[in-house]
Amino acid sequence: MIFTVLAVVKKELASVIRDGTIVISILIQLFIASFSSGLLLGMLALYDPDTIMQFGGNIKIGMVSAAEDQLGPLMRERGLHVTEYATLADANAAFYRGEVLAIVDTPQDANGLTQVNLYLPTSETTSSLIRMVIQEPLKQYENTLRTEKGIELRYADLKGKPATSFEFVYSVLIPMLMFFPAFVAGSMAVDSITEEVENKTLQTLLSAPLTLNSMLAGKILASVILAFLQCIAWLSLLQLNGIVIQNTGWILLLALIIAGITSTSAALSAVLLKDRERSQFIYSLILLASAAISTLLNISPITAISRFAIGDAYTSGLNIIIFALFLGGLSLLLSKLSRRLLA
Amino acid sequence: MNQILVIAWREVTRLRKRFGGGASPLAVLLLLAMLGLSSYFLRDTVSLGAGLYRVGVSGDVPLIEDSRFSVLSVSPQEGRTLLEDKTIDVFIDGSQVISRSDDRSQYAVRALKQYMEVAELTRVGNSYDGDSAFPLRVGINYLDASQPAGEADAATPAEVIIPSLTPPPAPFTQVLITLIYIMPITFISIFFTSSFMDEKMNRRLTVLLSAPVTPFQIIMGKMLPYALFALSTTILIAWFTKANILLALAIFAPTTLFIFAIYLMVPLFYRTFKDTTFIAMLVTTLTTSYLIFPAMFTNVNDLSYISPLTLAVKMYREEPFGWREYLFPSFPMTAIFLLTMFAGTRLLNEEFLMGYKPLTRKVGDAIYLMLARSKPYISVPLWSLLVIPAVYMFQIIFLTFATNLPVGLILGFTLLASALLEEIVKSVSIVVLARHGVVKSWRELFGLSFLSALGFLIGEKLLLLISISMVSDAPVAGAMFGVGLLLFIPLIAHFIFTSIIVVAHVKLKFPYPLALAVGTIVHFIYNVSVMRGGF
Repeated sequence: MIFTVLAVVKKELASVIRDGTIVISILIQLFIASFSSGLLLGMLALYDPDTIMQFGGNIKIGMVSAAEDQLGPLMRERGLHVTEYATLADANAAFYRGEVLAIVDTPQDANGLTQVNLYLPTSETTSSLIRMVIQEPLKQYENTLRTEKGIELRYADLKGKPATSFEFVYSVLIPMLMFFPAFVAGSMAVDSITEEVENKTLQTLLSAPLTLNSMLAGKILASVILAFLQCIAWLSLLQLNGIVIQNTGWILLLALIIAGITSTSAALSAVLLKDRERSQFIYSLILLASAAISTLLNISPITAISRFAIGDAYTSGLNIIIFALFLGGLSLLLSKLSRRLLA
Repeated sequence: MNQILVIAWREVTRLRKRFGGGASPLAVLLLLAMLGLSSYFLRDTVSLGAGLYRVGVSGDVPLIEDSRFSVLSVSPQEGRTLLEDKTIDVFIDGSQVISRSDDRSQYAVRALKQYMEVAELTRVGNSYDGDSAFPLRVGINYLDASQPAGEADAATPAEVIIPSLTPPPAPFTQVLITLIYIMPITFISIFFTSSFMDEKMNRRLTVLLSAPVTPFQIIMGKMLPYALFALSTTILIAWFTKANILLALAIFAPTTLFIFAIYLMVPLFYRTFKDTTFIAMLVTTLTTSYLIFPAMFTNVNDLSYISPLTLAVKMYREEPFGWREYLFPSFPMTAIFLLTMFAGTRLLNEEFLMGYKPLTRKVGDAIYLMLARSKPYISVPLWSLLVIPAVYMFQIIFLTFATNLPVGLILGFTLLASALLEEIVKSVSIVVLARHGVVKSWRELFGLSFLSALGFLIGEKLLLLISISMVSDAPVAGAMFGVGLLLFIPLIAHFIFTSIIVVAHVKLKFPYPLALAVGTIVHFIYNVSVMRGGF
């Protein structure tokens, strides 16, 4: 039994390597990973005021000075270069000379409200950038005005460090690199099973000393092995890049089990539907649905992986058991239903 | 036209048989409905960083309902201990937030700040009247820097905002909405691809091709039901999201054609089932990144107009755009559709479909089949001219890819990659013809290299002409598409690079990749010196 399964595994792996298609798969993952982090970097550079202030250099704002001025210090604290002008006309002239990028007028009282006029250039790029960096000082100023009216906003003085990169790496990048190989593994299982049926090679294959179940097991195992190797490669690459990953053993075990689950459910849909078209379609629907359901039930493997990776104190091998049990159930179901492939 | 309808009807029957019995389509619909529903519920709760932070709370603290935080109720004493031994990241004791100085705890504090800000504003907004809770109004006025006309007119601001209630202009949500349009199109393309695979498998294609229908009619017929489906989903989505239906159709029709064009290529080139899966995945990744990446920068960089999703984002923001903005993304997509349709009609023959060869050889054969029916002196420059939109798209993808590299390498990488791409495009047609023995002599090689360079340059400059007014503040794009508008020197330069490759490969018997490398490096050096102002 074991040897026949291994023979199937060997044949499958050899064909994947010969076709060279696995290279495409690895390229895709590399592309997705770098694409999404590129996207994040771009978003950070363009939409995160902290990053803009860090790299954007000096943004010069002209202010029309006033006797009791609270907005000026708030903007300086943000890192903006504030130049004061006596009148709006002076500031205006400075704007047209290119000395300042935008103008903030003196706050005025209007029916109990405070109104500030902001003059921005018509260029959308510059004006949206200025609106982003000026948002925080304006909010702080609004808070001061609130306090004057006796309304206290709690937790207003929190600072912390910008967390977007941290959140991206641990909750998107690492789970994605661990699970994408598993999704591909499922697709591969569908392809290699339905190809035997549609090319009518299944009967020939089964005339060899090979049971249907060991044939399926071999095909699933081959896909899982490929996925697992990719996961190991990604984890080492990430660590080489200086990303600290805790609990690598548990992470790999969970990735292995998920690859098992995707390939087994893919094999299940191939066994029941027998052709590639429907099996791939149903398989991708199942993937989407189970991602949604597991998140709804709060047992998402994505969260589990992120928590393992940051070294969360409440996450342990116990969180993996439920997935292992599910895999066991699926395999049992597949072995019971596998005869349908021949029907 | 009749033939096309017949084939389209045959396609619908095929699908009906596949998912026969009436029950299965219902099951699929139910599943889709469930998916839609769950994604609707998940929309707000899933965010970047789900489950990353552990927060301990004690005393009167607002309820924290955010997927990023797992909240633990503790006593003040316990909270401090748990924070010390890093079991929790932040501890909130009443109105006081206690954190450690390490990164993880500080990240949690920032995430908490984002959440608390919104929660507190809601609380204040609910318990006080609007004017007291939000006592500041900011009037936004615009000044045209190029026209130092008169005094700033403070009377009527263009827009009045309340700072804490006006989020900074991030297009994330709108880009996600526009993605919903793309999803069903890529999903349905599984069936479009399968349809050709089916015919190939059952050898029915032979029968079909011997019938009095042209390959063009076959492709159109098979595409028709799926295209109709795609267009009707576009209408439905526009209707559900209360967008302008006609405008949505105008924006997404070229995109739909483009996606179908790409998926038409998949069944033409596959050899085994696994190929199909991998090629389809690659194609989906590349097209999605091509579509999404630029749209993220709507209103930030004019280059974002290269993606039609940018137009859709603008549509949802009710911002106007003109014909030029519409044509900028739509024209390359439609052009690529037409080119692939042409390729499809040439490639849809049994010999090409059934051959099992390495993918590179298959691509070579495909190019040969596209060129072979007319004179090389016409087909080679036409090829170089017509693939320009595809080159353009790939260069955008390179740019996406390059943003990950260290800043110093970005320009170098994009220049090198686009030089390689341009050289492949210009030389491959000649090389393929030479391999099939159509061109041999030195005279032919040089003549074709010149024509290929000419065709490429004309296409490139046409595209530049369209885009130069749009892409005004994108220096990298400028470098990629050639800075100098002076035509003569670039023409000679392109001619020389292509000749180097063609001669090295055909006459000196260099392997193609090596010949390509030589030509690319020369091209790269030329580009760098152009950028430094050498020419």
